[in-house]
Amino acid sequence: MKAKLGAGALVVLFLGGLWLVAAPFAVGYQPRGAEYADATVNDLWVGGGLIGLTFVALVVYAADALRELARRGKHAES
Amino acid sequence: MIRKFVGAVASALAVLAGLWLMIAPWALGSQPENRDWTDITTSEFWTGLGVAVVGLVGAISFALAIYEDLVVRGAVVVKPRRVEPEPEIVPAAPPQASSAELAALLAPLVEALREDMNRTDRAGGEHRQNGRTTLVGVEENR
Repeated sequence: MKAKLGAGALVVLFLGGLWLVAAPFAVGYQPRGAEYADATVNDLWVGGGLIGLTFVALVVYAADALRELARRGKHAES
Repeated sequence: MIRKFVGAVASALAVLAGLWLMIAPWALGSQPENRDWTDITTSEFWTGLGVAVVGLVGAISFALAIYEDLVVRGAVVVKPRRVEPEPEIVPAAPPQASSAELAALLAPLVEALREDMNRTDRAGGEHRQNGRTTLVGVEENR
């Protein structure tokens, strides 16, 4: 149950990373065509890192959960 | 087990990222001092706060899940909560000797003193008055 709550937090963090990447353009502090501001560069790096980190964590979480399910299935058959 | 560990590490890193986002406008100089917050500051600060809080929740959840897993595997032994012993009931103090018992106890002593005084009166025939003759003197005159 607690691990599922943590997985939910990872999903929210993934969405937060997506927002960070989109924020400079959505809020409007990065003019179109202009050179990227420091804040934009920061948001893109932090948001991109957050997306990648949470994505990897979620993939590992899903893979390990599936492996455990498969192991339980084998035990049930034997 | 491995998924919980990976989740805990990712959540902890997200907490750090959130804290960085909260201070980034000042660190990068996009927020002028003594001025109202710009759009950049508002966006980054509140996003960072949300990321830090959600990351903290995730890290705590994964840490508790790891702890439960270790308890189930027997790697961590949960100490049973020590039950506080109830305070011993102190027996009531024995009742003090009543005045009647005390009188009965002292009666032989009083009687012996009275007999001793009578004997002194009969033998010497003198009446000792207060302050005139000491008891030591009476005993020496015997």
